[in-house]
Amino acid sequence: MDVIAGLGHGFLVAFDPINLLYCFIGVFIGTLVGVLPGIGPVSAMSLLLPVTLSGTPESGIIMMAGIYYGSMYGGSTTAVLVNIPGEAASVVTCIDGHEMAKRGRAGPALGIAALGSFVAGTFSIVALMLVAPMLAKVAVAFGPPEYFSLMVLGLSILSFLTQGSMAKALLMAAVGVVIGLVGLDQINAMPRLTFDRLELVDGIGLIPVVMGLFGVAEILTNIEQQIRRDIVQSRIGSLWPSREDLKASAGPVARGTVLGFLLGILPGGGAVISSFASYAIEKKLSRTPERFGKGAIEGVAGPESANNAAAGGAFIPLMTLGIPPNVVMALLLGAFVIHGLQPGPLMMSQNPAIFWGIVASMYVGNIMLLVLNMPLIGMWVQVLKAPYKILFPLILMFCIVGVFASGNAVFDVFVMIATGVLGYLMRKFGYEAAPLVLAFVLGPMLENNLRKSLILSEGTFDIFVVRPISLVCLLIAAALLVAPLLPALRKKREKVALDATD
Amino acid sequence: MMLRRAEFWGGLFWLGVGAFVAWQGWLLELGTLREPGSGFMFFWLGLIIAAFAISIAIGGLRGEGPLLADLWRGARWRNVLLVVLALIAFGFLFERLGFVICSLALLLFLMTVVDPVRPSISIPVSLIAAVGVWYVLEKMLLVQLPKGTWIEDFIPF
Repeated sequence: MDVIAGLGHGFLVAFDPINLLYCFIGVFIGTLVGVLPGIGPVSAMSLLLPVTLSGTPESGIIMMAGIYYGSMYGGSTTAVLVNIPGEAASVVTCIDGHEMAKRGRAGPALGIAALGSFVAGTFSIVALMLVAPMLAKVAVAFGPPEYFSLMVLGLSILSFLTQGSMAKALLMAAVGVVIGLVGLDQINAMPRLTFDRLELVDGIGLIPVVMGLFGVAEILTNIEQQIRRDIVQSRIGSLWPSREDLKASAGPVARGTVLGFLLGILPGGGAVISSFASYAIEKKLSRTPERFGKGAIEGVAGPESANNAAAGGAFIPLMTLGIPPNVVMALLLGAFVIHGLQPGPLMMSQNPAIFWGIVASMYVGNIMLLVLNMPLIGMWVQVLKAPYKILFPLILMFCIVGVFASGNAVFDVFVMIATGVLGYLMRKFGYEAAPLVLAFVLGPMLENNLRKSLILSEGTFDIFVVRPISLVCLLIAAALLVAPLLPALRKKREKVALDATD
Repeated sequence: MMLRRAEFWGGLFWLGVGAFVAWQGWLLELGTLREPGSGFMFFWLGLIIAAFAISIAIGGLRGEGPLLADLWRGARWRNVLLVVLALIAFGFLFERLGFVICSLALLLFLMTVVDPVRPSISIPVSLIAAVGVWYVLEKMLLVQLPKGTWIEDFIPF
């Protein structure tokens, strides 16, 4: 099936009224969780994962994808108006976006964020449509050693890019793999680390772990501080940017889009790092870098385009290789699996309706988002005024309901509470949850491919270095692991971490 | 002084976890490189965790990172404790008292004791949320929620 025919077929799926409804629900909830600080796309997607079971696979996955790219749009509203990132990828938008708002230019800041996001989102869908079939053809040649090395590379990139100590990030990745391997051994059906508990034989569920580490831990962290929201009180005014604003933003949007898309494809990369990289590039390229931090529209246009393009790019490794490049895609993989589907090189030929349906729904979803974000800003501002002391009990209840509904087991609620406490302590002690969750999802695949590779090679590790793709992945991974030992690179990495924390 | 560093205690905790995982891997049998056993990954991952944990703990001994007490300085840690205890109680009572009563109690507790809001807000919000979620899940999405083994004989619906 060629691209045009595939896309035509995809639009037939996307315009099915029920899929349009799911797409709308997805982008609406995505925008809402993007707007609300304290609940991100990961929590929202875990919460709604069980709901996807009631519909067709394409409906459920269209909704989940909508939540992801919708949250990227919504995050900018909170960043501009309240100076709190609605989700992690909007951290950079706070810097200049909120400054613009304080100077009475909230409208153009929100407008350019929405327009840039739309351009970047659309570009990334077109690129996804063109790149994915090519990569899928290459991916057919992948064997266990290539998959193993690619996953090692993904975990290394994520550990390299996390804030703070790389030793802690790698430790978290190793812990994630261990938790992911609890349950029956896939090869000889031996129970492992189950402590004779029947509930653990099938392994630990993704939803309780993610809800605990992200949802509950976030709430525990927030309620020990007094949350103050400094909502911009002045009138937002016209959202449409002026001619000068559009002229100043064209370059940053274009550069942010391409950069975001490329970083989004990389396993372990993604929306957060692409928005930081875009901001740094725009500041460096600017003739007046001193304006950055004081309300430069380029500081909003570039990062917002980058994080939306990255959200689209992240679909490529999942759809073509079956490897989730970040936590959100890991949840999407979970959605595929519960519907009995396995994303990978054969996805396009075996399930064209799903692949092309998702791609086409993303076009539709992007237009819905533009419509939702431009005229409904006033409504989102009202949502932002809801006090956290009322929101957090409700979010907590939704977490419990989501976890229970996913497996109908109180045991999962206890897993969520335990991982929630663990996640809270991890934040206190400076350990990041993202490498743990990605490793948790990749763990079983990682072990399976390692063991298969060793069986194929009759017990030698040569198999990982004689195959070029595997060798390249391992060399890059090794370079990333060694890099922090070099003083110059360590300083650079620490600076990125500091910038991110600020 | 060095023993009061958060890095030291964090490293020590993960060292314990790593040692336990490696030991479990050893018990599960390592197999050979030609045919790795069920414990192969666990054993090596346990050693990796232990190695990183030692490096972090050594950093703590060298005086790196904040003091353990500083992590909670000025924080409202009582709130965290109350929420965790409420969640554990919820977990134990969920199947016995059922979804509606447990959720209502949890929401009222959080909005009255942990971070208080006016009763004129907390009571209607808790009621609408608990009953509304129950109605949507149980009646519309047909998700089965616990009715409560202690009280199901008294429920008319």
